Parts: sequence; C-alpha cells; structure tokens
Amino acid sequence: MPNHTQIEQLDRIVERVLGRSGARPSQAKALRLPAAKLAPVVELIGALRDLPRAEFKDRLRKNLERRATMASTAKAAPEFRATLTPYLSIRGAAAAIEFYKKAFGATELMRLMQPDGRLGHAQLDIGGALIMLADEFPEYGFRGPESMGGSPVRLHLDVPDVDAFARQATAAGAKIVRPIADQFYGDRSGQLIDPFGYTWTVTTRKEELTTEEMQRRLNELSEQPGSRSAPAPAKYIREGFHSITPYLVIPKAGQLIDFMKTAFGAEEHFRIKRPAGDLIMHAEVKIGDSMIELADANAQFPAAPATLILRVDDVDAAFRRATEAGATVIEPVANQESGARGGVILDESGNRWNISKSAEGDVVFKDYRTVTPHFNPVRAPAMIEFLQKAFGGEEVYRAQSPDGVVHYAQVRIGDSVIGMSEPHGPYQQRPGTLHLYVPDADAVYERALRAGATSIQPVADQPYGDRGGGVTDPFGNRWFIATHTRDVAP
Amino acid sequence: MKALKEKPDERLLIEAAQRDPARFAELYEDNFERVYAYIARRVYVRVDVEDLTAEVFHQALAKIGQFEWRGAPFAAWLYRIAANAITDRWQRAAREKGTPLADDPADPHGEISPEEIDRRALLFRNVAGLPAEQRRVIEMRFAEEKSIAEIARELKRSAGAIKQLQFRGIQTLREHWTKKPRKKLGGPNA
Repeated sequence: MPNHTQIEQLDRIVERVLGRSGARPSQAKALRLPAAKLAPVVELIGALRDLPRAEFKDRLRKNLERRATMASTAKAAPEFRATLTPYLSIRGAAAAIEFYKKAFGATELMRLMQPDGRLGHAQLDIGGALIMLADEFPEYGFRGPESMGGSPVRLHLDVPDVDAFARQATAAGAKIVRPIADQFYGDRSGQLIDPFGYTWTVTTRKEELTTEEMQRRLNELSEQPGSRSAPAPAKYIREGFHSITPYLVIPKAGQLIDFMKTAFGAEEHFRIKRPAGDLIMHAEVKIGDSMIELADANAQFPAAPATLILRVDDVDAAFRRATEAGATVIEPVANQESGARGGVILDESGNRWNISKSAEGDVVFKDYRTVTPHFNPVRAPAMIEFLQKAFGGEEVYRAQSPDGVVHYAQVRIGDSVIGMSEPHGPYQQRPGTLHLYVPDADAVYERALRAGATSIQPVADQPYGDRGGGVTDPFGNRWFIATHTRDVAP
Repeated sequence: MKALKEKPDERLLIEAAQRDPARFAELYEDNFERVYAYIARRVYVRVDVEDLTAEVFHQALAKIGQFEWRGAPFAAWLYRIAANAITDRWQRAAREKGTPLADDPADPHGEISPEEIDRRALLFRNVAGLPAEQRRVIEMRFAEEKSIAEIARELKRSAGAIKQLQFRGIQTLREHWTKKPRKKLGGPNA
C-alpha cells in the first residue's frame, strides 16, 4: 500500500505540472525528492497533459463512420482497381498535340512515330489526367471523329477553374457547344468541341450534393414550365442529315419532288421558292433514311444532275413506278453477276437512278444508305486522293483491273460513303453537288483549298443554323462544307 | 496492455479502406492516439488539437483512394496531412489578425521523432487499459482538466480516495512508460 505521504506528494507534482500552482515541469525539482527518481514521473505527467478525451475519440469515430457509410453507399465498392484512359484517334494527331498544349495546357509525355510518318502513339498529361492519342489507322479500323462523323464519347474533364479553362481553350480554337453555366448537380460546366471533332465536357465542382439532392433539383427543374430538362445534344450534323447529302441542282425541281414521291415514296420536309416565279430555291426530301436537297438550276448554279444509287426491297416495283412516272430506261432490271438485282433510269431532270438490291450477305455495299451518290471521275485514284486530303476520306474498297482501270471504289467520309467508277458506256464524268457536314467547317474548307479545290464562297455563319462555305474540287464537283451550329425553326 | 506496433497487415487495412470506406474505422483505431499526440506536441489549446485531429482524419478518409503504398507507415502520411493542416490554420489565423506572416510556428521541442510520438500514443492507449476507476480518475484529471475536489464530487468519493486512485493509475502507467528515446548526436543539422 502506498503511504499517505507518497500519494500527497504525487498529487502536488500533478498540480504543479498541470500548471495550477504556476510551476513548470522543470521547476518540479523544487520538490524535495531525488531528481533521478522524479524525472520520469514528471515527464509522464507532462505527457498526460496531452491525454485526449475519450468522449472526443468516440465522437470523432462516429462522425467518420457516418461519412464513410455515405461514401460507401455512394459508390459500390468495386471488386478491383482499374485505370481507364481515353485513347483518341485523330486525323492530324501531331497538330492535335499542339492544340491540346495551347488550349488545355497539356504536357507531352511521350511520342512514337511510325516509319511512314504517322504518329503511332502519344501520351499527354492534362492537369494530371492522362490521355493517349495517335493518327488514324484505317487499316486497323482506328478512325477519328472527322472520318466517323463525330464521336459518341464525350471527354469529361474536371478542372479547378472552368471559366478560365474555357477562355484559354476557345482562344486556341476550341468552339463552345454549350456555354459554361452552373448546373443543378453542383458543377459549373459547359461543352467545347475541339478542331478535331472531340467534345469535352469541362467542369468545376461547386457544391457537394447527395444523389437525392441532385434528383430533387432535377425534378424541380423539370417541373418549371418551359424548361428543358436536357440541353440540346452537341452535334455538328443537322438533325435528320448525315455527313454527306446529295444536293441536286437541276431543272424542274418541283416536278422532280413529285416524281420522287410517286416513284420512291419520298417525304417532302422543306421547300422555299424564289421570290419571283415558281422556281425552288431550296427543298429537302427524304427517301428511306436519306435526305436529299435540291434546287432549281440558275445562272449562278448551272444544272448538275447526279447519279444516285437507290437501295430498295422491291427493285421491279420501284423501277415500274419510276418509268410510269416519266423516267427513261437506261438499263432494264436484270440480275448482276454479283447476285444483285438492279436497273438504271433517267429522270426528267437529268439524274440517273441506279435502283438496286444487293445480294444476300453482300459486304461491299453494306454501308450504303437508301440513297448514295455515285461518281464517274476520269481518274478515280486522283479523286480518292483529293477526298482523303481535303475531307479525311478513307478508301474502303477498290476494284481495279490490271490495266489500271478502277471499276468500282468506295470512300468513306464521316458517317457516309460514296461510290465511284471510271467512265464507261453511258456513264461519263459529270460533276455533282454535295452537302458535307464536318466538325470544323473552317478547317476543312482550308484543307480543301490546299488539296486543290477552288472557292465558291468562303465559310460564314448561315441564317439556317450552319456555318459553312463552298468549294469546287479539281473534278468539277461542288462541295458545300458546313458545321451545324444551332437549330433554327424553318 | 496493447502494444503500439506497426501491424504487419497495415497495407491490407489500407487497401480494404480504399475499396470500402467503412473499413477506415480500423485505421482510425490504430492511429488516433498517434495523430493526437503529434498535433498536441505542436498546438497547445485542447480545442484546437481536437479540431485539427478531426480535420486530419476527415481529410484522410476523403483522400484514402489517393494513398499509394510505398512502404512507409500509414502514420507518416497522416503526420504530413497534420503538418499541412497546422500550417494552414496558423497562416489563416495570422491573416485574420492582420499580422505579417512569420515562419512556421516554431516547434519548441524541435523535430518530434516518430518514436517519441509512438511513446506518447502508447501512454494514451495504456490509460484506456487501466482498471475502470483509475482510468476514470486519470481521464478526468488530465483530459478533462478537473481538480481533485471536482472529481471527488462527481464520483461521490473522498478527495483522499481520488488521490489514491490517481497515484495507482500513474504507478501502473509508469511501469509501461518506456525510456525516452535518446537524442541523436551531432550538430544542429545532423
């Protein structure tokens, strides 16, 4: 049993160390005890001054548990840890790297070049986020937005200051698709499209919200009259259109619309007449999944009838309706060597229609839409090269005889294909007109000029919601190059 | 008495917490006393020590996914968070007062070694392992900063009985109070 003196003595040390009697631990030697024996006790008591309160430890534990539970329910614990890195296919990857450096402050981490000069692989760091990219390698099916007609994947980038980030990006050439604004889910964010066709959602977190709170705000937002719960999707191709739309500049446009309705079940979507007379300034009709634009030829735009491949289920019926509606037969319906069945007619405006149906399991024409434009250039390889250089076209098929004649070739531009064969028989070269949607009309217009096209009209904002311009390619075809920027009511 | 040793499976605990934040509780249990001791050696007002300790663990929970195992003890990571939190708070306080920024708050004890922190953390944990009555008295006396008279009143015991429990508690703790780690020899920058 400790004696009373020891107990009292110890309490005096405690009192002093706790500072109640104004003494500092070092002064404890004032106590009449051997310093060597006392020192560890004084030190121990000094350390006990920092003893945490048990109640505090318990309370903090409970708070952390609450937070942790919220965190674990917010995201179900994944079974494994993985990293996910976007790998961008870009026509002109080297230029894209320079753009990302300037626009997004990216740092180049590495770059590998192919012997053929294409950029085989590169890695960039954007504020700690990794992206990988390379030039297009169509032979491996590695194609970018310009070839595919856009990318279905958005890149979502969290940045510390979204407004400053967007300013720098737009100054470097990115375009705002959706302006930077506060969002109901606690972010301030917007969308940019880069000159290579990738859409970036850039965002800065402003508020930490639970999923329930986000849902509540979303519900409120949707209940407000006139509100749109979802912003317009970012796209540079007008609704209902594809990358390529044939534009028929022909005489008797009004009559042609009636013909297409009767013979091919076309739907008229839009028509505007010239101020004086009945001539059509611009019209849009749809056959199956394909839009066709047309206008009456005039002094500025002389007639340029097209050759169109029309896929139908019942070739004979469509052919019969076409001839009954006034078309002239060029080739009657027949079975082809390939197993396809088809025939060719000439409408009264001068367009040739190859009405056909592919053989079962055909792969060459699998990407054809209901209506696909066809060309008869004198030198198909030169035209293919132009389409590659100017529009990022990709040669997907070529049938060439040993003497060098191209019997059939197919080029993909964006989400569309066009066909071509060198002139033969009645099918001689004649230029057509096409409407081409691209992610960045300004850039493509410039590229087309560099590839040998001549300007019809420079790129400008058009009242109908496109930004576009026109060029004539070296083969006489007219291309109206456009980026859809906003929807305009007709 | 529980030993305050590096658990060999600390890495597993961290990975478990990274997969499921609910598992963070174990890391908290293992490191609470260390973090508290570390902060208490640099900050003298108890409410500030508690605030900062809470801040460190909340930050650690939020950032646990970013922790990369490189072989250093988990506590080292917590100390780094704590050091930053202390500096931030001090700078904020200096700004609010409008006083010009001086250097980091001086550490009167010099650089605190992890061994010294562990030694103190073990002491705190040993308090929790004392017999119930001794433990209660030690906690009230030191953590709750109460006088013998207050404790006697609250526990409905005589002042002498409280002093005796205090004496026994400190005796027990002293048996486990390890020797102070020797200071490293050498110059001030060694």
